[in-house]
Amino acid sequence: TTVKVLFFASAREAAGNISSVEIELSYESNTTTLRNVLAEKYPKLAELVLDEDNITFALNEEYIPSGESLPLKNGDTIALIPPISGG
Amino acid sequence: MSSFSADTHKSNTIWVKVSEELPSLQECHDFCADPSCGAISSFVGVTRDSFQSKKVLKLWYEAYTPMAEKELRKLCAEAMSKYDLKRVVAVHKVGNCPVGQASVVLVCSSPHRNDGLKGCSYLINELKARVPIWKREVYEGDSDAVWKENIEWKEGKSKRVMVKE
Repeated sequence: TTVKVLFFASAREAAGNISSVEIELSYESNTTTLRNVLAEKYPKLAELVLDEDNITFALNEEYIPSGESLPLKNGDTIALIPPISGG
Repeated sequence: MSSFSADTHKSNTIWVKVSEELPSLQECHDFCADPSCGAISSFVGVTRDSFQSKKVLKLWYEAYTPMAEKELRKLCAEAMSKYDLKRVVAVHKVGNCPVGQASVVLVCSSPHRNDGLKGCSYLINELKARVPIWKREVYEGDSDAVWKENIEWKEGKSKRVMVKE
């Protein structure tokens, strides 16, 4: 399963200024698995990404409600959304 | 029912845009104007020169553009179902936004003024809670830029539900 991960704002900085990356996950991965994979791959991002209060995920441009973990399929796009500040 | 034209930002009643170039307030106004509407209400957010007595030197916005526009369209549709609005515009700047410059423009037209005024209020409050846009500020005397966080984001946690189609 290959998914595309997008990094924004403070999450992008913590990952070393990477704005997007393709990640291969084992079959039947979910968004919680992905958090762990990202924490390992980007140690400076670990504290942020492992805490849902710090980073909300958006799956294919829809927010994942807090507390939920969703299955991931090939071609999905996940965005790392730190607390927003528009307006 | 609104239909979307080839320009995916615009239907015949809703216009959203997240971009470095913002349409002018007049263009937004003209989109919303309609003979049936006695009121065209607007909110313009402008970069302020200070935050908690610290002088703002630089301010810029970053966005998850396709999702930000999608969320803005949802907000506009919601505003239209809650209030008697004829047309709605919601546009937000990305990139550099110096002091005095408009960062967000929201315009609603309505037959009567109450709906339009409430519509604009609804839009800005919901935008701050839901639209994936980030603001970065540099203050005088600070070496590092700061990523801002809207209090509405945390407060709006329960509203971020997935719409199952």
